[in-house]
Amino acid sequence: MGVKKFIELVTETLGLDEMKKSSKKKSVKNLLKKLNSKKDAISKRLKAKLSKKKTKELNEEMEIIQFQIKKGEVILKKLNS
Amino acid sequence: MLRRIFLPAILIILGYGFWVSPDFKEIAAGVAIFLFGMITLEEGFKAFSGGTLEKILKKSTDKLYKSIGFGFVATAIMQSSSLVSVLTISFIGAGLIGLTQGIGIILGANIGTTTGAWLMAGFGLKVKISAYAMPMLAFGVILIFQKAKSIKGIGYILAGLGFLFLGIHYMKDGFEAFKETIDLASFAVDGFKGLLIFIGIGILATVVMQSSHATIVLILAALSVGQITYDNALALTIGANIGTTITAVLGSLSSNIDGKRLAGAHLIFNVVTALVAIVLMNQIISVVDVISDFIGIANDNHTLKLAVFDSLFKVMGVIMFIPFVDKLVKFLESNLKGKEKQEVESYESVQYLNDSVLELPATAMAAIVRETKHLYINAFEIIAHGLNLKRTNILSEMELEDVIKEGYSKNIVDIDDFYEHRIKGVYGEIIDFATQAQSKMSPEDIEDLYALKIASRDIVDAVKDTKHLQKNLVKYKNNLNNHIQEQYDGIRIGLAELLRGIDVVSKMSEEDEIIVLLSKMKVNMQRYDILANGTLDNLIRNNLITNEMATSLMNDSAYAYEISKHFIAMAEIIFIDVSSDIKNLGEDMLISDEEVDKILEKGD
Repeated sequence: MGVKKFIELVTETLGLDEMKKSSKKKSVKNLLKKLNSKKDAISKRLKAKLSKKKTKELNEEMEIIQFQIKKGEVILKKLNS
Repeated sequence: MLRRIFLPAILIILGYGFWVSPDFKEIAAGVAIFLFGMITLEEGFKAFSGGTLEKILKKSTDKLYKSIGFGFVATAIMQSSSLVSVLTISFIGAGLIGLTQGIGIILGANIGTTTGAWLMAGFGLKVKISAYAMPMLAFGVILIFQKAKSIKGIGYILAGLGFLFLGIHYMKDGFEAFKETIDLASFAVDGFKGLLIFIGIGILATVVMQSSHATIVLILAALSVGQITYDNALALTIGANIGTTITAVLGSLSSNIDGKRLAGAHLIFNVVTALVAIVLMNQIISVVDVISDFIGIANDNHTLKLAVFDSLFKVMGVIMFIPFVDKLVKFLESNLKGKEKQEVESYESVQYLNDSVLELPATAMAAIVRETKHLYINAFEIIAHGLNLKRTNILSEMELEDVIKEGYSKNIVDIDDFYEHRIKGVYGEIIDFATQAQSKMSPEDIEDLYALKIASRDIVDAVKDTKHLQKNLVKYKNNLNNHIQEQYDGIRIGLAELLRGIDVVSKMSEEDEIIVLLSKMKVNMQRYDILANGTLDNLIRNNLITNEMATSLMNDSAYAYEISKHFIAMAEIIFIDVSSDIKNLGEDMLISDEEVDKILEKGD
């Protein structure tokens, strides 16, 4: 058995690749959690009476966050597969 | 002059020694093999310093006691205070830790070196150590020839330990044989005179060998066969402790001012501790006797008693210095001043790139990130002034409409001059340094490094675009046509908003906030693009501006768009990609151009 094969085997046995993946997953999950709470906060603010300019700004921010949540979920799905 | 004489003198003395005594040759070869072992061991540990060591260092140096603990553990494991000193200087050079933490590590490393004396006195002199050396060397060398970095590292560590053991074996054998021909103990000098002479010899031996560890092992080897007296061995140990600072001083020569201050702290600490030890010599010897009795060391076991002395003397020094670390930092900061005191120069030259940070890929990377941020700060100012905006106003909460009304200067700012002094040199140095650092980096690190080079290029391109934009900004500033003036004001507002946003991002730590803000900037960038939003068509169709104005506006709008694009791309790299938990996700998380269009359409 070559050294490369040996290292691959050790990495696989100890699950080192999985460790790397799971720490990335954890980061994305955290990010999604933060984005979701941000989304909720904006929703609440939008329910209050605001100026037209502010409402437009918040709506735009909401759109951006929704796109980002979608992107985060895609990344998470890829990491899970 | 001295330096020129030093090396030939050492070689002549060695040559003469080899000629008159084959045993001296064996001792010298033992020292050489031991030193080679230390170099090999250092090489091995460096192979593992790609991330783990740095992460541990960062987390374990936030408090003084933790720094001391880290210095102790690291030195005890690596058996080299020189390597720990060099690493510490490297970390300070890269700005990863401060001088106080650095001093803590050095204090801990000093105690850590005592483990070497214990190993040698308790194990190395009693066991046939060469029996362990041979298999270690054989296994080590086989592993060194492997391609994988970690396997290679293990190989270097094994071979290093093997050489250390072999070196000790030769030193011990050499002294035993030497004893039969010459009795060095007959040269022993008693009293205070003897103390000073042997301290001097200890300093000299350590300066020559560049390792107090090697000197102490040599002292123990000589002491174990009775070639030197216990009193002289104590003096030699104190001398070795002073001599070792030379390694740190030499290591700091290529470092920044904090590295030099650290070497200064090392020198002050070791010399003061040595002076105190000389003054309190008799009392320390009595305490050593009491401790030795207490832990069951025989009265005539001088090697183990020397190890007790070495530990006591160093621990005493550290305890003595702990209350004064802050004062020592202040003293060094006020007495050792670098180029940084000249503010102008700090803008124009690099601040974080120096040879000491090249020691480790992680410190080199951290230094390049910081230098790129420095380049960004310079570019921020040039772009603001180029747009005739006050930097302080951009960074304030002032309405953007008011920011553009209050110009920076009535004269035109010479961007070329700024570029030559504050951008070109720093950019060139970053690229040059990155090329040097690359040779020691893993493929993943090289990828990050490439991104940083791109970020630097983005900054430079943004400055160049500002130069082109400035020409017409000046030209149309007081133009009678209100429409063209309005458009150029719009460009200035858009860019002022961008600069303000990037500054906010640079100070943020929450990744979700950074990502949302950068995405917002992307939307704004598209919104202000008058080619895309139809403003230019409208102005031309209604004959509100001349053809010449239209061409200028079209070009300048494109320049403004490019400045925004470059700055957002740069921010993505230096504020997300290289230092955050969601590393390499920045681009995937930011909204795409199509999504920007959808948001703008919805907004309209």
